[in-house]
Amino acid sequence: MSDEMKEEIKKLREELASLKEQLMDVTEQKKSRGIYIDIGNNVRHYVEDVMESINEGIHGELERCILIGPRGMKIIRKGEPNREEEHVVEANFSKVSEVMSALGQEHRLKILGELIRGGKYINELQEKLTEITSSTLSSHLKVLEEAGLVVQEKVRGRYLITMPGRVAYKMALRITGFVERGSQE
Amino acid sequence: MMLQQYRLDNTILKATDALKLLQSERAIIETDGNTLAVPILLDNQRKGYMFHGHAKLLLDTIVETKEGAMGNSVEKEINEPFLMLGDTEEIQQHLSAADKENLTAMGYKDEQEFIAKAEDLLQKLSRRGKIWHHHCCDDNYGTMFAFSNEAGKLDILVADDSRLTYKAMDRVFIANKRKVVLKTPNEMVLSSNCKSLIIRKRHF
Repeated sequence: MSDEMKEEIKKLREELASLKEQLMDVTEQKKSRGIYIDIGNNVRHYVEDVMESINEGIHGELERCILIGPRGMKIIRKGEPNREEEHVVEANFSKVSEVMSALGQEHRLKILGELIRGGKYINELQEKLTEITSSTLSSHLKVLEEAGLVVQEKVRGRYLITMPGRVAYKMALRITGFVERGSQE
Repeated sequence: MMLQQYRLDNTILKATDALKLLQSERAIIETDGNTLAVPILLDNQRKGYMFHGHAKLLLDTIVETKEGAMGNSVEKEINEPFLMLGDTEEIQQHLSAADKENLTAMGYKDEQEFIAKAEDLLQKLSRRGKIWHHHCCDDNYGTMFAFSNEAGKLDILVADDSRLTYKAMDRVFIANKRKVVLKTPNEMVLSSNCKSLIIRKRHF
């Protein structure tokens, strides 16, 4: 065997030893982290670029779409109509009138004023509204319930102001406040 | 252990008077007198009943938040067979053997027709594969009810004095003394210790 061939065999042995070591490394990583796939630097850089651009995109979208106001956060989806347009298109005037007429009675407003402080049974409401009879109180509560401003727990019997009821009551007080200030000016 | 091991007894019973099957903070289920009942057995012990009569379900699936109450109450007449798994001792005292007249009054030709309908409901529940006997029949887990709904599926209610879980077509409601969760097709409300989180699909 020539020296040249011996040298070649030595190199091949070294390469084989190095490959064995690499194989051991890969096996170790597989054991510790699950599946290991060497995707090579080019692919890795490409994936990193893609992820970076996706990140930038998401960041930009979030900056554009999330509005954080005093009442919380709203996420606007692309193509969603804005609130003003929506209201013009979807306004159901008969429902609007039902809600407004439910508000347009002094005792019903007083009932909402009591319920805004917390849920109450009918006898507790009666104690606060002594100027009306129990049957009148029941009929006012029915009107408020039909308008969706009040809800009754059927098991316990308590009356609770709903989310729209709370908004409607506050809105009524605000409008009245504006009108009163306007008439004074 | 799965529900398949439950089986129906052959004895058809009727309620001698109106029965309050459940009364908790948020739910009431009651049936009229003459309601038909067939015991559900597990290892030859009564673990529940299949009822058919005129029953009523009242359920408050309402969440109180600082912004106002959300949800509403369920008020349903139940004229289809429904299933109850849980404490049977008290109910047992208000049941006696049913006769043919009782079966006819509920629209059944004979006992077999009623048993077949009851078996069908039990099968439907077992197909859900979600109920384990040690959960629904242990006193710690309260009582479980299953009602057929309009879509031919089952509405499930599990309740004890203070805890309640209700899964129906249009809502999921879970409550204990301190926490309440309501999920409807359009919104989800979580309330815990006076704090609440509301997630709505479209309107703000």
